[in-house]
Amino acid sequence: MRERSEGRGRLRAAILCAALVLTGVAHSAMDTSSPADTGKGFVPPAAQARLSSLGFHAAVADYYWLMAVEFIGSRFIVENEDALRAGELIDLVTTLDPWVGHPYRFAAMWLTESAEAVVASNRLLRRAIAYHPNDWRNRHYLGFNYFYYLGENLKAARVIEAAIQLPGAPRYLAGLVGKLRTDEDGLETTAAFLHQLVEVTEDEYAKASYLQAVDEVDTERRARLLDKARDVYRKQHGRDITSVRDLVEGPRSVLRELPPPHPFQDGLEWIIDPETGQIVSSFYGARYAPYLKEHRREKRERWRVEARAWES
Amino acid sequence: MIDRIWTIATNTVREAIRSKLLYVLLGFAILVILSGIVVGSLSYVESARILQDVGLAAIRISGVAIAIFVGVSLIHAEVDRRTIYTILAKPISRGEFLLGKFLGLVMTTWLQMTVMVVFFVAVSLLTGAPVTLTHGAAILLICVELTLMVAIATFFSAFTTPMLATFFSIGVWVVGCLTRNLRDLGAVSDVDSVRLTTVWLHRILPDLASFNLSIEAVHGLPISAADVWLPLVYGVGYAAIVLVGAMAIFERRDFR
Repeated sequence: MRERSEGRGRLRAAILCAALVLTGVAHSAMDTSSPADTGKGFVPPAAQARLSSLGFHAAVADYYWLMAVEFIGSRFIVENEDALRAGELIDLVTTLDPWVGHPYRFAAMWLTESAEAVVASNRLLRRAIAYHPNDWRNRHYLGFNYFYYLGENLKAARVIEAAIQLPGAPRYLAGLVGKLRTDEDGLETTAAFLHQLVEVTEDEYAKASYLQAVDEVDTERRARLLDKARDVYRKQHGRDITSVRDLVEGPRSVLRELPPPHPFQDGLEWIIDPETGQIVSSFYGARYAPYLKEHRREKRERWRVEARAWES
Repeated sequence: MIDRIWTIATNTVREAIRSKLLYVLLGFAILVILSGIVVGSLSYVESARILQDVGLAAIRISGVAIAIFVGVSLIHAEVDRRTIYTILAKPISRGEFLLGKFLGLVMTTWLQMTVMVVFFVAVSLLTGAPVTLTHGAAILLICVELTLMVAIATFFSAFTTPMLATFFSIGVWVVGCLTRNLRDLGAVSDVDSVRLTTVWLHRILPDLASFNLSIEAVHGLPISAADVWLPLVYGVGYAAIVLVGAMAIFERRDFR
């Protein structure tokens, strides 16, 4: 009797061991890579996800949001393809629960590696603005995308302008809008825009920052006069100026005197910026325009064309 | 009559709270609500929102599970134990008996809801997530949805086996969650009959999406009084219709 029960025990142990080995071998041979690695069925269509979530839209949106965070977080370098996949996930998240806040800006932070990505980012940010009309940050991100990646300064100005009066919006937005407008609308429109803001704003700190921007526009107007004088000088002398004082010195000077480099600050001068060769006020050190490196200028011209193709 | 219904209802509550399944489902719900803290912490932003999304989802799914799984066996258990003969031999109509069973289960699900809501509120407050009146409205509408599901489970348990009643009830719940989507999908169809069918399915089947205010609660979105009272009236009315149907069937049922 005891022998039979011992035999049965040994048999069970053998079956258990064999089952353990078989299970381990089978599992290790399986393809256990995550859908994020293979890309297969990684992001379901939004309509399908809405149907299958059976009204638990918010909880399912959270699941995909965590997946997006994990997906980006697990990458040492986020390539364009990765960013586009994360963008698809955020598109899904914001379709299921469009009232989420940060995921829109998360997508905007990563969707920057191609014109296609920026177009996707802009689409999400427009949705963010529709659902969070009083959040200045989404408008700021969208405006930045238009300006920095696509060179659409006027569009950027219009988007950011709407954010200026929103709660919590930083004061520098008005100055940024002013700079973005100078290219296409001209300095007079920028000045009028800033003066209007000064009139309607009750916040004294904001008013002061707008007045500073007005001073900068004034200075830029004078700098542009000096640019014209410089052109005249070049034609008359057959060479460029070596210093800004050349415009007013010597028997063939083109100006009687230099305009002030700042509306009311003394002890300043006009200089030639060694990096750009432009005439600048020593107070500001740069001309009144959004700052952009040369390689980015070239890139954004290309992306602007590509983005239009993607959008259409 | 009310006394008789009340007696059946209180007995049903006593019987239901002895069910192990009830505690398993309740335990599961509480575990999921608590796990919201961990799930929320996986996100570097909006953790409070995720915690509440998970919590409200847990309350709803567990409530529906309790309503269906406990509800479908109510009548069958009485028939199986043959206690129904003793009860119906007393001066109580079959309709009163069914109504009592229904009320008992509604009270049981609301009792479970209270426990889950206490945990939900405690976890929310402990983690700094806001709890507002909109949360109250969302939970109230979950209660209405559960009442309707109890009515549906009671309806099926009035004439079929627990297994079939479970399938039917789950089926109605799934389709009820999707009727709006079905209607919207049908609206883009080129075939008139499909469009008409989906519109009528949406009208006839329970529109359970109308009881879902979770997103509004979690995001603190403004809701109108009509967002609460219209679904409330709709849910109570629908449950009443289902119960009348259940009573009509139950009164004709042969227990031999």
